[in-house]
Amino acid sequence: MKHCKAIFILLFLGYISAYGQNTLLQNGKLSGNVQLDAQYYIPDSIIGAEDLENKIRANVFANINYVNGGFSAGFRFEHYEWPLIDFEKINYVGSGIPYYYAAYNHQYFEVVVGSFYEQFGSGLIYRSYESRNLGYDNATQGIKVKAKPYQGITITGVWGKQRNLFVNEGQVRGADADISFTEIFPIIGDSKFRSGIGASFVSKFEKDQDPDYKLPQNIGAFAGRANFGYAGFNLQGEYAWKCNDPSAANEMIYKPGEALLLTASYSMKGLGVFLTGLRTDNFDFRTLRNASINNNIINYIPTLTREHAYALPSMYAYSSQAVGQIGFQAEVTYKIPKKTVIGGKYGTDIMVNYSRIHGIKKNYVPEAIAADGTIMLAGTDGYTSPFFAFGKEVYFEDFNIEIGRRFNKSWKLIVSYVYLNYNMEVIEGHTGESNVYTHTVIGDLTYKINDKHALRLELQHMNTKQDDGNWMYAQLEYSIAPRWFFSVLDRWNYGNPEKEKQVHYYNVSTSFVHKTSKFSLSFGKQYEGILCVGGVCRVVPASYGCNLSIVTSF
Amino acid sequence: MKKLIFTTLFTLFLGFSMAQEAPKTKSFSLPSVDIKTIDGKSFNTKDIQNDGKPIIICFFATWCKPCMVELKSIAEVYDDWQDETGVKIYAVSIDDSRSSAKVLPLVNGNAWDYEVLLDENQDFKRALNVNDIPHTFILNANKEVVWQHASYAPGVEQEYIEIVKKLLEEKP
Repeated sequence: MKHCKAIFILLFLGYISAYGQNTLLQNGKLSGNVQLDAQYYIPDSIIGAEDLENKIRANVFANINYVNGGFSAGFRFEHYEWPLIDFEKINYVGSGIPYYYAAYNHQYFEVVVGSFYEQFGSGLIYRSYESRNLGYDNATQGIKVKAKPYQGITITGVWGKQRNLFVNEGQVRGADADISFTEIFPIIGDSKFRSGIGASFVSKFEKDQDPDYKLPQNIGAFAGRANFGYAGFNLQGEYAWKCNDPSAANEMIYKPGEALLLTASYSMKGLGVFLTGLRTDNFDFRTLRNASINNNIINYIPTLTREHAYALPSMYAYSSQAVGQIGFQAEVTYKIPKKTVIGGKYGTDIMVNYSRIHGIKKNYVPEAIAADGTIMLAGTDGYTSPFFAFGKEVYFEDFNIEIGRRFNKSWKLIVSYVYLNYNMEVIEGHTGESNVYTHTVIGDLTYKINDKHALRLELQHMNTKQDDGNWMYAQLEYSIAPRWFFSVLDRWNYGNPEKEKQVHYYNVSTSFVHKTSKFSLSFGKQYEGILCVGGVCRVVPASYGCNLSIVTSF
Repeated sequence: MKKLIFTTLFTLFLGFSMAQEAPKTKSFSLPSVDIKTIDGKSFNTKDIQNDGKPIIICFFATWCKPCMVELKSIAEVYDDWQDETGVKIYAVSIDDSRSSAKVLPLVNGNAWDYEVLLDENQDFKRALNVNDIPHTFILNANKEVVWQHASYAPGVEQEYIEIVKKLLEEKP
């Protein structure tokens, strides 16, 4: 029945798009996109690729949007009935139209009814967003009203249910005010100063049905933020506080939570310096107390580390620990000027990045310490924690340097070194695992044969004594702009302590791009690992097989 | 299984049948979406403009490698492009709060002369149906999108400027 409805709406829109141009859609515009990711699975016991009953799987979704002046409406059809195995593992299984909306945008206000994505400030207490490749979508379904009474002042209110996988559960509501002094006062706007402040409040409701504890049902969170800038300097910060919220994530403690995010940057032509610090304490915020992994999350705690684009260092990526973490990141980018002895004809890019994250220091309250010394947190206030103290345990450390240089019109080289210290026990929840220390060197060479043809060779080597041992990676990519890509790669776990697991994870792929459509076909083995997008991560199971992907927008 | 094949084929068919429609409609105007400038001021995408000359819009993020390669490559020839055609480039970052504060030092550090906008909530990206980045749009003198392209391959920027030049020739 659900399908009939979806197909009917699709057909209807297809019809008006094709034939209704002169009538219904005189000033309106219909647009959208479609994505299909399909895979044929081959079992492989050595890498851990399962022997699946249903061997052909696909993720399909299509967005359709209609815009006419300030009015817009749209929906997303999702078909994940037999999804790719990684989506099945996180229970992203279902189909239908989980996302639909109608909106009106005016100079002074904006109203959205239905599903929407929104964030307050940096998202510390509220962010609804989607990351389709991760299977993450916590859109709020309800109503959003934005008032813009005066240039530089925006007030936003949201109220609704939260999407989790294919159901809407968990109630959330909130309001935010954003004031930009730069826009309100011309005297600031015309100067080199920039300044603004903002404040938000979010609350969730969940009935208390716990037989043992008396749990709070309405839980509020507050946040305040400010930013200040002068010419190349920029400083911004946000502090958030949350009422006591006993949950599975914090082991049922009645302690309030808090979070602080500070960022400073300075930049001038050729030089950029960036510094950021973050502390979160008991700040796991979900609409349902018993939710785990990436389910029912209301807020977004950014990850303070660099998101590596190269395959081997991204194997050990940090994922933000909302329940408790303190750390910082520093980054300097510098361009050695062009036409100098050291910089060469085109200049040379240098980037150095360092981040370090620890657990927070915890002094357990006396009620949480049992007579025999064991810690029993449930039902207590948990612990106290000095605000700026680093805990002893290192969660993650990353030092990396990247140098890029073009030698002439044809040749370009990027070299990079990455050191990582990865706390597997905390980040992946594997009790008893030791930290993983890795050293990776990367070379990335591009040779432009002519205006359209280019070859790119990527070589990486990761050295580690822990986990699966050493890795080697080689990839050769050939592109013919703007249409064709061909790539072969091999990722070899030659240092695995278990001989039979010294596997070649090879992959052969090609893709064809025509304007906004992309068709890709690949064959190979996928290493069991962690996929992270924007600091949110999920486990990707090992797989072997043939993959087809089609993406188009219109 | 049957259902899956059916729905898949149907969705694709629909997608392509609509995609086929695209040339008929030829061009479309930019949707009106509130985003931010790199100094944190609010900015409506209707205000993207270049005094009647062509515009290129590039979606990017600081963590997207091909996007960085694309913007760096264009930066090397941007002066020439501007002298020859007067084209203006808007680089729209979809970085979220993890990395949005890195955009300004990155842009200054690389000495880019692009107009840089922040689409932190990805509203503009959604309104333009962008699946993945990099994704590039070219707008004509009337600020209508006449051409778009997903992904980046070295050398594709040559095609951007050829299209811009063609647009200038078409102009009466």
